[in-house]
Amino acid sequence: MKLKKIGASILAMAMATSMLAGCGQASTEAPAETQPTEAVETPAAEASTATEEAAPASEAKNIEATEVTFWHAMNGNLEAVLTEITDEFNNSNEYGIKVTLVNQGAYGDLQTKLQASAAADALPDLAQAYNNWLTPYLDKIVKLDDFVANDFDNWDDVVEAYRDECSEFGFIHAVPYNKSTYVLFYNKTMFDELGISVPETWADVEAAAKTVYDAKGISFIGYDDLAGVVEASLHQDGADYVDATGALFNDEKGLETFTYLSNLYNNEYARLVGEDGYFSNVISNQQIASYVGSSAGVSYIKAEGWELGVAPLPGNVKKAANMAGTNIVMFAQDSNKQLAAWEYLKYITSTEAMTKWAVGTGYLPIRQSAYETAEYKTYMEENICAAACYEQAKDFFFSPTFEASNDIRSTVPSTVEQLVYDKADAQTWLDTIVEAVNAQY
Amino acid sequence: MSQNRKVGNIIATILKYAVLIFGAVFTILPFVWMISSSLKTPTELVQIPPSLFPETPQWSNYQEAWKAAPFARYFVNTLIVTFCTTCGVLVTTVLSAFAFSRLNFPGKKTVFSLFLATLMIPGEMLIITNYETIINLKWIDSYKAMIIPWISSAFYIYLLTRFFMQVPESLYLAAKVDKCSDFKYMIKIMVPMNKQAIFSIAILNIISSWNAFLWPLLVTNSQEMRVLSNGLVRFQTEAGSSTELIMAASCMLVMPIIIIYLFLRKYIIEGVTRSGLKG
Repeated sequence: MKLKKIGASILAMAMATSMLAGCGQASTEAPAETQPTEAVETPAAEASTATEEAAPASEAKNIEATEVTFWHAMNGNLEAVLTEITDEFNNSNEYGIKVTLVNQGAYGDLQTKLQASAAADALPDLAQAYNNWLTPYLDKIVKLDDFVANDFDNWDDVVEAYRDECSEFGFIHAVPYNKSTYVLFYNKTMFDELGISVPETWADVEAAAKTVYDAKGISFIGYDDLAGVVEASLHQDGADYVDATGALFNDEKGLETFTYLSNLYNNEYARLVGEDGYFSNVISNQQIASYVGSSAGVSYIKAEGWELGVAPLPGNVKKAANMAGTNIVMFAQDSNKQLAAWEYLKYITSTEAMTKWAVGTGYLPIRQSAYETAEYKTYMEENICAAACYEQAKDFFFSPTFEASNDIRSTVPSTVEQLVYDKADAQTWLDTIVEAVNAQY
Repeated sequence: MSQNRKVGNIIATILKYAVLIFGAVFTILPFVWMISSSLKTPTELVQIPPSLFPETPQWSNYQEAWKAAPFARYFVNTLIVTFCTTCGVLVTTVLSAFAFSRLNFPGKKTVFSLFLATLMIPGEMLIITNYETIINLKWIDSYKAMIIPWISSAFYIYLLTRFFMQVPESLYLAAKVDKCSDFKYMIKIMVPMNKQAIFSIAILNIISSWNAFLWPLLVTNSQEMRVLSNGLVRFQTEAGSSTELIMAASCMLVMPIIIIYLFLRKYIIEGVTRSGLKG
């Protein structure tokens, strides 16, 4: 492991001191070029005041040409589509705004870099982020309420669950963008062969699992996200998961949920994924009959010699499906940059650009009106995954964010894995998971 | 009796080779697995039972991986950064090790203790502060941001100081009698005498610099400045990963290191065994 030279440390200390001294100044040290607008002496915490002043001005639309940096974690084809849409914006906007896309690797890397940049006061103007990344630097996020109220084409057109998620902290902190959901991918050929219909309830799952296990000796179902399945199953059973005070499922409902899950695993109706972490390869090899995973992963399934089916998640007393994917948050402190960034956000979430994004990437449209375009309707006819996602859009829920939520997310999967290895009974599942969750507070 | 000894010798040799072969297979298996995985189809990759060799090698994986990111540019960047940091490390390490081991100057012990003290600070703790420094210097997205913070290492200095101290002082005094300057003595006597140690420092530095991931990611933003290890994450998304492409890219990434090793293995092995270091 490398260690820094003492000179660097001294330099760092000197810099830290000078940073403290310069604390009163706004640091628009984002890697973008600094814009020669009037000095904005707005520390991060007062961003909302800047916003309030800025929003009415936006009606006059007096935006100076500027550059906006946008950190994202879209790779491969996703990046290509995002670049195309961004180029269109850069070439067509009347203010000379130039949005620079900066690829920061995978989600984990983007999260690390955002956190480090928040500490160093070097956040970009815009960034993709999950809510549970944001708690450490919530004060640096620009409140978007006034932008939405004064200058957004119909916020009510945005899918309700997304709106709720983006205003989770008591103000609108983000605009939803690349959204996906968990769906049930299944081997339609195998289902047809064994005469199984697509399971809609837990009881259906258990019955179908028995049929598959008896006939083929393989597991019926798997879950890519073990924290997600615990949360979704509790909701499907009408129970709550967690909130800022602790686990909320230490009751009969919780026991019922874990009876279902532990039975699936203990009977080998469900199995854990292997080393590569995703069931897409397992189902490609027909070693499992179905699995629950993100709709964004459909391209990783190689259906060679069998036909793929996609369905909404089975429910119990009600239906409930996890949402996934990030939203876009704004950190820009300069009021001109804020206006410019908002123009961009409006553009990429417009019905037209959103439809293009959704069709190009397989992410779900964030707007109801995008679902209703002829283009997306044609897409859904050809794309069974999109159709299944649309069908369950009314059942979306999102994971609440609070101080411990990130730790809970990372603890639950390993806890569940251990319970599966131990072939534990339902009560042990309940006790262990409650304990593991509560230990994170 | 001699018959018995012969048999004993043969058994000992067989045992020795058995252990060595076991060790060799054990060490090389992950490499073989990486190469074989890089040539498989996604389905073949997770098939049970696993196959050691791909049915039909998918050379196109390499093509596809290569196209996924500007790897040629990443490669050049990695090369530049690795070369410069290694040269920097060698210069600062040799000079300071010589000063600490041979020269006498006021505060020598204190300064050396300070150097050692920096070893106690975990690198992770320094990352944010150093990142802030780089931002304030406006060095973001430049080679110097990736190189300059790493051109010196207290650990290597400590290590080499120990080696230099083992050289008998009489040599130094003899050189002094012959009117040899300190610098000349260092270059002509100290460096050649501790060739292996210096080589192993260079190799260790090349490896860690080649594999560095977090720091280059933090201090760069544009594709033109990224390094190879940053390219590897391109194949992972929230919903799946193209393991075969990661493996193909990994093969390309480690190949230069393996080639360097093949050429320099004599020095590496000597250096590592003598200094009791692990790579």
